[in-house]
Amino acid sequence: MLTLIKGGRVIDPTASRDAVGDVWIEDGRVVAPSDRTPDNTIDAAGCVVMAGGVEVHSHIAGGNVVLSRLLLPDLYASESAPEGHPFAHAGGSAAWIGANYARMGYTTAVEPAMPPSNALATQLELADIPLLDRGALAVMGNDDQLLELLRQREGANAVRDLVALTVATSRGLGVKCINAGGASAFKDGALKLSLDDEIPVYGLSTRKIMGALLDAVEEIGVPHPLHVHCNNLGIPGADDSFVATLEAAEGRRIHFAHAQFYAYGLSEPGNPAGGFRSAAERIAQAMEKHPNATYDVGQVAFGQTVTISLDILRQFGGRKGANPKKWILNAGDAEGGGVVPFLYKPRGPVSSLQWAIGLEMMLLSNDPERTILTTDHPNGGPFTEYPRIIHWLMDKEARDREIASLHKVIGERSGLGSIEREYTLSEIAQLTRSGPAKLLGLTDRGHLREGARADVAVYRDDRDRTAMFARAKLVLKDGEAIVEDGEVVNWRSGRTLELSVESDKAMEKRTDAYLEDRFGTGLDSFAVPDEAFAGHDVFEDVACRA
Amino acid sequence: MMAAWVKGGATDADAAIEAAAHLFASAKVPVVTGLCADVGALRAAYGLAGVIGASLDPVAAPSLYAELGVLSRTGAMGTTPAEAVGRADLVVVVGNAPWDRPFLQDIAAAKPRRGRAAGSERTILSLGGPSNGQIRHVAYPVEPGGLAVSIAQLRAFAKGHLAGETAYADLARRLVAAHYGVVVYEPGEVGELGVEMLQGLVKDLNDVTRFFALPLADPFQGRALIQVAAWTTGQAPSTGFGRHVPEHDPWRFDGARQVREGEADAALWLSSLPSPRPDWLASLPSVAIVGEGSANATGDTAEIVIAVGVPGESTGGTLWNERRGTLTHSSAAGQPAALTAGAVLDAIRARITAKDSAAC
Ligand SMILES: [Zn+2]
Repeated sequence: MLTLIKGGRVIDPTASRDAVGDVWIEDGRVVAPSDRTPDNTIDAAGCVVMAGGVEVHSHIAGGNVVLSRLLLPDLYASESAPEGHPFAHAGGSAAWIGANYARMGYTTAVEPAMPPSNALATQLELADIPLLDRGALAVMGNDDQLLELLRQREGANAVRDLVALTVATSRGLGVKCINAGGASAFKDGALKLSLDDEIPVYGLSTRKIMGALLDAVEEIGVPHPLHVHCNNLGIPGADDSFVATLEAAEGRRIHFAHAQFYAYGLSEPGNPAGGFRSAAERIAQAMEKHPNATYDVGQVAFGQTVTISLDILRQFGGRKGANPKKWILNAGDAEGGGVVPFLYKPRGPVSSLQWAIGLEMMLLSNDPERTILTTDHPNGGPFTEYPRIIHWLMDKEARDREIASLHKVIGERSGLGSIEREYTLSEIAQLTRSGPAKLLGLTDRGHLREGARADVAVYRDDRDRTAMFARAKLVLKDGEAIVEDGEVVNWRSGRTLELSVESDKAMEKRTDAYLEDRFGTGLDSFAVPDEAFAGHDVFEDVACRA
Repeated sequence: MMAAWVKGGATDADAAIEAAAHLFASAKVPVVTGLCADVGALRAAYGLAGVIGASLDPVAAPSLYAELGVLSRTGAMGTTPAEAVGRADLVVVVGNAPWDRPFLQDIAAAKPRRGRAAGSERTILSLGGPSNGQIRHVAYPVEPGGLAVSIAQLRAFAKGHLAGETAYADLARRLVAAHYGVVVYEPGEVGELGVEMLQGLVKDLNDVTRFFALPLADPFQGRALIQVAAWTTGQAPSTGFGRHVPEHDPWRFDGARQVREGEADAALWLSSLPSPRPDWLASLPSVAIVGEGSANATGDTAEIVIAVGVPGESTGGTLWNERRGTLTHSSAAGQPAALTAGAVLDAIRARITAKDSAAC
């Protein structure tokens, strides 16, 4: 079927395209303009046409997300919804997640923290998220098998083989490390860890572990660079950790998760008790010097949320700030996880400053493709806040109104108020489409050039950007309409993207023996077999870099 | 060919599925109970419950809710079976139930091998356990008030709120001195109050050392159900779909209560793995989906009975793996059974949906 999206303002920064024009679609792909008569014409006059949004970092599946629902059953309201899907109205459910991303025009989302020991459960849950293509990053950096291998100095090839095997077994799209060595150190009594601190028992450091993973990811040719959650998240002075980690990458590709939570410079030099001030400028300068690096922002939104992290060292440290006063911490087979409720107080000084820093970072960015929009859902706030955040980025007046309603610390400790910049639609597309797609190495999306997957969002152009981006007029996934006028009209399933990677037979055998010895059951019990998905064709291969 | 019965008479699965669809299509307040099955069947059970407006009442509820109530009130601090076996230098076993579990043999047979306690001895302490002498341990008696009261006492000693040369003072000193302590218990036995006290104790101990709870899983796939329930509905398992929005309420959606008070008018018992049959099942029109070859695979178990493959044995299935503390998949041993519980539930749902659209 030939479809024509006609007369919309087409925004595709990868083709320097921002003009009224047409988009042609056939067999689920964007095609060249045709002189044939289309079977279906969509009138996009007065609308903005973009590629479907791509999410790189949102906690949407896995054991800790499950626990967060049990800890805070009322966080998301359930409400009646139109017929069509039995569970889309169930607040916080997999169907709710898929529906709410799709309504905003997002068509791909990645869960960044899949513990390999819990891969099957995570993948089953991801597969139940309708409408979107999904993916998950396998978390490494605290497991005894890897740390032991590094301690024994077995060499880069052994690390590469173990990483490849882990990604293949868990069917991940990439690799993440979370406060590398931190969970292990926590189990052995440590309460703080910086880049070069010694990790008890193993004699390693975060620098050594991360360095080995950076090399392995390059060797294997994982399209997505190593996704790094640094040490010292959220602590005044964390900007030092960010910059030190950036330099430790030594030019290798690296992605920083939720950078806002590290852009906290000491307010008084040498005194962490004096609180923090924005380090957005310092981070922006460091990013300019290191074109090998990207980050997602982890913007804060006001209100009740729950923080979900495999960084158990950090979550344990943050337990006393739990609001309401309850929290879960699990020392898992490697990382485990911490689930700590948190209230970003609308007019509180700390929350106000965090909110300002995230916006300031994006507004100081000279390359929005490398500074991707996230809220680290739900850690900084729910992903459903994206439309409001986009509004503030695009509209200085709306931003000033919001600042005026918040704590005055924003003016004292951040530079947000003096920034005149307003994002253009093209820059928003870089922040939410082309940037994240490039970062994940998904060349078939994030743009509208010929051959692109026909994941397309059509928005009514509206000065009220919140309204515009909250409810897309039309969303196509693989060329099929899934959302019309902000409501889901077709509950189809997307695919889970997995990296196509060979594992080394010798490493398989060795790992099987290791796991058998440690768990009383081998590699088989870590597998994610097709058979577990009730005959549905769930996975789609993504190739490694040549 | 799978066995099936309608009103005691043997029939084929298709006829039984049709009869079940007929029953649930006209039921006003149906109950889905048991839910002792693989993930595929549990997903399908939610799908059917959503369509027919049923409530869910798992056989694992008493054990699950001893934990879930505490979890939503105060949280938890835990570890995995393999981390406990690999790292713990001190293991406290609370109550009687854990002593019959294979896990206790595993942990007693090993010494810490990872982390800062590696190479040291492993001490096993018992609070209120049997003195069967098979596993070397130091026993501490329970206070007259029972387990929960004893744990509260112990917590007071560990926090320094109580002092004196008592057995619990000695026990508290041992807890504080551990490098990686683990307290093992069965939530159903310890009870909600006891679980709350234990979790409080564990959290207190972490102000000075590393200490974790290890609640043993119920034997009825309740942990698998929690996962499926949470990602499907955003809620814990005991939910009702009567108003088309999942409502969580373990009291209201207790199947036995609903039947006793005459609310329920039809029931589905899902037990493709062995679990106790509800004693009220015969008191209302019901469908039983049971494992082939089980004692319940007979015509008198319920009005409609369908025997299906047993997950992990005669059919593949994703199940809670107690040793791993997560979901794992097992393939069928040999040629897989013709029919799975998930397929039967999906077929019942498909017939009901078809009936609905035919009526429009
Ligand atoms: Zn995150």
